[in-house]
Amino acid sequence: MVKLTEFMTTNLKFVDAHSSVYEAIEQMVDYRIRSLAVCISKEKAEYGVITARDIVVKVMSKGIDPAEAKVGDIATTPMLCTDENATMHEAAQIMVDNSVARIFVCGNGGPVGVVSFIDLMSAALIARARGDHATR
Amino acid sequence: MLLDKLFSKGRKEQVVIERITEHIRLLEVACEEMRIGMEGGDLRRIHHVLRLEREADAIRRQIIAAVYEGAFLPYLRPNLCRFAENVDRVFDAIEETAYCYLEMKLPSSIRDHCLRIAFYNVRISEMLLISFLAMLRGDRLREKTLAVRIYEKKIDDLKLEIRRKLRSLPVEGFWEGKALSDFVTGLTSISDIVEDASDDLHIMHVSMR
Repeated sequence: MVKLTEFMTTNLKFVDAHSSVYEAIEQMVDYRIRSLAVCISKEKAEYGVITARDIVVKVMSKGIDPAEAKVGDIATTPMLCTDENATMHEAAQIMVDNSVARIFVCGNGGPVGVVSFIDLMSAALIARARGDHATR
Repeated sequence: MLLDKLFSKGRKEQVVIERITEHIRLLEVACEEMRIGMEGGDLRRIHHVLRLEREADAIRRQIIAAVYEGAFLPYLRPNLCRFAENVDRVFDAIEETAYCYLEMKLPSSIRDHCLRIAFYNVRISEMLLISFLAMLRGDRLREKTLAVRIYEKKIDDLKLEIRRKLRSLPVEGFWEGKALSDFVTGLTSISDIVEDASDDLHIMHVSMR
């Protein structure tokens, strides 16, 4: 079985809740990613998420200056998480139930990866190609 | 098996099939040894990779020799040889990567990404074996080659991120920088060559229809 951790994207980028939305946009453009993990309190392991959609819908379309808006004000909290041992099927079910395009994979110290629909699709294709084959 | 049906069950053909299977299995072992060696900093495993490359070289020569001695129909021979050569190129890339690893210390900032690539290298080589066995059975290869491409894309994404990090990484001298650069190039090129080998299988499969 293809594990969730095998197909999650580990290239997670964080932004502080007190940062401006403009800083979040910069990170998204620089790293060509559509979401950032928002660090609300590292000590309490509180995280949220901000997506490109949040920025367009909650800031830009309302004519708000992204340099003035704070990430914490528009981020979705708490972060929707699943644990590292979850299966692809469980992750997909959580995404469908919550109508979200991605789910974070969290370990003891916080988020360690993120899984999107394309990751789930790739994993399903790999599982299909592998069949029952196990060479080791 | 499709190959058997099409090209008789001659001993020469059987030898080539066995050797190619062995060649790819060895590739999977080499990738796994590289991954474990990198994960635990176990240099004995890395040295083992170098020995496996020499073993693979001998198998490649046996495959080419058996093909030139008349195994399989002439129109298939170039494809079989090219496939064996491409698998050998993967071994060359692993060997180069292993040598570089022995000469350097893996920076912590790119360690996780490199380990992930090493893991995907194991998976992609396993998928190459699955594809070859599927071809022998006469199964469709479309899904298998797609799986190889998915792994390759995953590695490409990680390669971009590593390159980004490498630019801001201080190095003490030219040779340290070269070893690090060659290591990353080698590690990330393995999947590219496996993809080429996978394409060879696909071509062979199509030409046998």
